[in-house]
Amino acid sequence: MNRIGEAILASGRKLPYVITDNPPRGGMKYTYFAPDKSYVVQFFNDPSKVDANMRRRIEAIISKYNPTIPESRGGALGTDEKRAAYFEKRFCWPTDIVVSPEFGLVSPSYPSDFFFGEGASDYLELKGKDKKSNWFTSRNRRFLNKSELGDFRSMLQMSLLLTRSIRRLHQAGLAHSDLSNNNVLIDPRSGNCVVIDIDSLVVPGIFPPEVAGTRGYIAPEVLATMELDKNDPNRRIPGSETDLHALAVLIYEYLLLRHPLIGPKIFSTESAEKDDFLALGPEALFIENPNDRSNRPENLDVTISDLGSDLEALFLRAFVDGLHAPELRPTAMEWERGLIKAWDMLHRCENPNCDEKWFIVRDVNEPICPFCGTRVKSDIVQLSVYSQSRGRKGQWRPHSTLIAENNTPVFKWHTHTDIFPDEKADTELEAYVCSHENSWYLINSHASGMMSPMGSPVPAGKAIKLSDGTMFRACREDNGSLIKVSIVKGMK
Amino acid sequence: MSDFSRRLPVYLLLDVSGSMAGDPIEAVRHGVKALISELRSDPQALETAYLSVITFNSTARQVCPLTELMLFREPTLNAGGPTALGAALRLLTDCIKNEVRKSTETQKGDWKPLVFILTDGVPTDEWREAAAMLKSAKPANIIACAAGSCADTSVLKEITDNVLLMNNLSAGDLAQFFAWVSSSVKLSSKSLDSKPGAGIELPPPPQGFVIVP
Repeated sequence: MNRIGEAILASGRKLPYVITDNPPRGGMKYTYFAPDKSYVVQFFNDPSKVDANMRRRIEAIISKYNPTIPESRGGALGTDEKRAAYFEKRFCWPTDIVVSPEFGLVSPSYPSDFFFGEGASDYLELKGKDKKSNWFTSRNRRFLNKSELGDFRSMLQMSLLLTRSIRRLHQAGLAHSDLSNNNVLIDPRSGNCVVIDIDSLVVPGIFPPEVAGTRGYIAPEVLATMELDKNDPNRRIPGSETDLHALAVLIYEYLLLRHPLIGPKIFSTESAEKDDFLALGPEALFIENPNDRSNRPENLDVTISDLGSDLEALFLRAFVDGLHAPELRPTAMEWERGLIKAWDMLHRCENPNCDEKWFIVRDVNEPICPFCGTRVKSDIVQLSVYSQSRGRKGQWRPHSTLIAENNTPVFKWHTHTDIFPDEKADTELEAYVCSHENSWYLINSHASGMMSPMGSPVPAGKAIKLSDGTMFRACREDNGSLIKVSIVKGMK
Repeated sequence: MSDFSRRLPVYLLLDVSGSMAGDPIEAVRHGVKALISELRSDPQALETAYLSVITFNSTARQVCPLTELMLFREPTLNAGGPTALGAALRLLTDCIKNEVRKSTETQKGDWKPLVFILTDGVPTDEWREAAAMLKSAKPANIIACAAGSCADTSVLKEITDNVLLMNNLSAGDLAQFFAWVSSSVKLSSKSLDSKPGAGIELPPPPQGFVIVP
């Protein structure tokens, strides 16, 4: 019954697509698939909104702002092959403009990881449906099989990957403007995510798109001023600051599986619509606000304080200080740093039945999994990384902390303090921590310049014995770090 | 996981009068089945939408009370008899009163219900008063669909401003109608929010359907 349509691209190339009744439809566009599903063709719900401005915007998105193709092939400035290949996996970036039968877009299909396969649910027919975030963060989670749900570490990884993608957009002066659970697909099994619906990006120098936004992700100030006239100076429109609200909401949802603003407080008894408007708009109140507990659900077992001091501070800035003051929200770069610190504090939960499997050690003397309450019985090995003050040889400042267990990898950003673990970083293993006959060792697998506590070289293949108080240079170069070991003896 | 999510009550008012007998009622059965399966595969709809079915012929009956999608069981639909639309509208008013949670000091109220009326004929009972009540008090967002040439759109216009006309009562058109209902519910469960008092957003009607001005 399905017919085949033909999209003619701006380049003159022709692409077939399958016309279906009631195609999947978002707030702005509807989608048809290629016969082999390798790409999608999307048209606008309201073609009258397609104007010269929108065309210009989308042309810019596809070419000079495109981080998924290298600069040498017409992509964004400063994008090399490696970074382009990295972001190609993280964004579903449109590739072409359709000029006939009407204005539209061609985008690649998402990888199959982002579609449910066989056996995703015993209750629902989900095969072939895309993995929108809120399958995993809402009550719908109970209908999915355990094998789909991932664990705390995979949710933390997705938070980091998403943050990095948003940081990349913001670095280029772009804003997503409609970031939501619908526009980020996630695969908790692998810890991967992909940002979709790139066409509503805010592009520097071009009129921003008119985006309605998605309930729960629209920044409070945008919702509160939505009714004002388009030209009213008090009206707030989506941009990078509102992305930072949506990003914080998504990270909170991934890590704690609940929405940060939807709580028990009744804001209005006039109507559900009015109550919701106030709860997410002008009167929005963080459910974990420490100063006003009126929106706090009764049984909050795991809270932001269980995520460690760095993430706790970021969430308080996003949802207390910055909830109604956009300029105070943490930037994507700050989130990226905070999430990396949190990543280094992960420890495996020793309870084999713990659903979350990993947790953040916020106190080495109390290593208790907040999800299941199980206390770690083995030693807690902490590597405190110090960096040398610039121009002051021999003066060291705290740089980062790595909680280690058996097989914990040590990377270049631990051995060198001027390297940040972003998309450009070398992810080859430098060394790893190993437990052997009740002792702890750091095995050098790849690092050059590693020195023993006594100051003699430790070549690749050799190890340093780690004891409480051990100090050594992970790399003797000026940008190399100093590592101080502390071991809290376990109960085993 | 939030227990504070609001419900979106969805009422289907289905005409099961004699003229629907045969292929049309079979198509409606299929349509309801397809609707449930579509909505269950949309995370927002699954979380938010609750469904009820009211049928009407010689009288009106709520064959399914307002139920969450996962627990919803398709009703047995049989066609025969006259078209008691008035009774159905009165029953709808009662159901909304009894089933839809109001916002109070201690309870998060439900979203404004979404009602889809499907009829292929002219009402055979007293309907004006109930229609006028629904149109003025607006306890729900109502979309009425006149199916086939015998349906009277002017009657539906007295219930709601949102009236659709389906050219014929073919299985294909009925299937499209239910697919459109599912898109409407999905879109509503996503864009619920924002502007209090604003009209509802609906996807464009399927091909061959006309919006009655």
